Amino acid sequence: MNGFYIGSFAHALGAQKRHLRESAEAGLLRSAPQDLEAAGFRWHHVCEPEDTAYDLARAAVAQIAARGDLADVDAIVYATCLPDGQTGSGPVRDVKDLMDFPAGRLQAEFGMSRAIVVGLHQQACTGVLGALRVAGALLATEPGWRRVLCVTADRFPAGAWYEQAYNLISDGAAACVVGRDPDVCRLLTVHQITNGGLGRADDDETVGTYFAYTHRLVREAAARAGLAPAELDWVVTQNMHDKAWQILARLLELDHARVWAPTLADVGHVISADAVVNLSALLDSGQVRPGQRIAVPVAGFGLNWQCAVLEVAR
Amino acid sequence: MTTLITGADGYLGRRITAALRGQDLILAVRCADQTELDRKRARLARVADVPVVPVDLRDADPFAHVDPRPITRIIHAAALIRFDVSRDTAEQVNVAGTARVRDFAQRCDRLEQLMLLSTLYSAGRRRGEVHETRHDDTGFVNHYEWSKWAAEECLLDPPGLPVTVARLPTLIADDAGGAVAQYNAFHHTMRLYHAGLLTLLPGDPATPLSLATAEFTVDAVTALLAAPPGIYQICSGPVTLGTAIDTAFTVFDQDPSFRRRMLPRPIPCDRAGFRDLAHAARALRGGPLQPALASVAPFAEQLYLPKHFRTDRLRAAWPGYRTHDATALIEAACTDLIKRSFHVTAH
Repeated sequence: MNGFYIGSFAHALGAQKRHLRESAEAGLLRSAPQDLEAAGFRWHHVCEPEDTAYDLARAAVAQIAARGDLADVDAIVYATCLPDGQTGSGPVRDVKDLMDFPAGRLQAEFGMSRAIVVGLHQQACTGVLGALRVAGALLATEPGWRRVLCVTADRFPAGAWYEQAYNLISDGAAACVVGRDPDVCRLLTVHQITNGGLGRADDDETVGTYFAYTHRLVREAAARAGLAPAELDWVVTQNMHDKAWQILARLLELDHARVWAPTLADVGHVISADAVVNLSALLDSGQVRPGQRIAVPVAGFGLNWQCAVLEVAR
Repeated sequence: MTTLITGADGYLGRRITAALRGQDLILAVRCADQTELDRKRARLARVADVPVVPVDLRDADPFAHVDPRPITRIIHAAALIRFDVSRDTAEQVNVAGTARVRDFAQRCDRLEQLMLLSTLYSAGRRRGEVHETRHDDTGFVNHYEWSKWAAEECLLDPPGLPVTVARLPTLIADDAGGAVAQYNAFHHTMRLYHAGLLTLLPGDPATPLSLATAEFTVDAVTALLAAPPGIYQICSGPVTLGTAIDTAFTVFDQDPSFRRRMLPRPIPCDRAGFRDLAHAARALRGGPLQPALASVAPFAEQLYLPKHFRTDRLRAAWPGYRTHDATALIEAACTDLIKRSFHVTAH
């Protein structure tokens, strides 16, 4: 995976930007609004009723296309947490109705005629990093391929709580390209841990196990890149309770100033996309330098934990 | 010889009463009304057929109806034992209540011994060797500890009273068989780990813990009734925090439902990290983590303050003293907790 690059980051969020107090009044949250505010959340993004997760994915990929970065894509890896979120909810007579695959639609809509499609939907909020890993694996096994488009998109169904494991949720999508040609970052490694024994973990169990697993995840991911956690220049996280990484930074002996999640208040937790949103924000911040190493650890139901380690290339 | 036992219906009070069965006893219990008194009398009658009197240590003169003349010994076992107790409540019950016991003791002309059941953690924030002597105030991690130290001072300050202070360890089981009849911070913590609700370990894994059975502790208390007044630290042999956790997880791993969940062993975290976790958990609406963590957090600070409790005086005063295998005790207690699915019923 060491020889591959990652870039062309893009994201799209649900069209309605709402303050969490408004959503609390609408009965869309489980926690008290002041508790979510104490965690650092303020705003989140909710789709218009007629918008689908595919619309979000398309909007993110359209930005890449507009930059001219969608040429020569050999594969599309599409990760989603809620694959049924974009199909009807009535009784099914013809199961073809359940096979309206978004990656194929993207391929057709953006004219990526030679791209094959791969779907990931069992990695929950970690899916985007799973997509990077699969992209790297595809490039490694297909010497003639040059670029893989990675996409993640989710929207919550109507009436669902916009809160999971005490995190304020946004509908949204993110996309990027993994390829052989030099780009913004080198993709050094992606590491994953799965504990299916906690596959039905409740919110408290999810929070309770978060620390030990994320500690292990970052240590092991850094080791795969030949690093100790303290050697990481940046840690780009999901948008979650801001105390969580104060605790983890101490456990990992990292300077908390290097932990980066600037969109927590404005964007919230976008299922699998907020790590990309935060990574884009870091790369656009002017604070990164070539050669710096960035860890992107994320946790998701399943339970799954994944961490990518990148090196800034330019 | 008549012995007055306060808090006689409590976890230890009942067991001390049983140990002294056959002696002339007066049992003092707190009760809200006659119905509660009748219920407690009936329960204690199964332990010893002796007088049971209502005593509320928050009253101005709680022993007004107890005749001081025949009393030769007082075992003051009544206390509020909660690490998250407020300063006011701890002061009212544990400190002012002890002062009222002292005032009553001063009216007992034949008094030979006034024994206070205290805690090893009246040592507060000090680290290192802790001797069986009076402590000065080095700060405390919670109001419970402070109140037990203040209660000790309340009895040790005035000269003349034959005071014995028995500083007790953390009781994690009734006996070496591991049966658990009362939850405390130890059991709450184990429950959090077993449920996967906590994967951080507050404290230094090398910190020694003083864990014991109620049986050992009652044996020590009864032995000290024959010993000269003074301060005694009741420890049956320490075990480190790290060994305690490893032992518990070894037991948990034998439980198929626990094993299937593949829960990780907790990782040590620093004080600030655990404080942050406990603080953040306050906002976790209605789940089990918040109340369980709230009961553990006020004690967790002690796990960063390693103490080695000396027991020279105890061992000299108690010829039957034997160290116990604390690791085996943890193993037995955790086995019992799993057997009961962490549901504890008093027995």
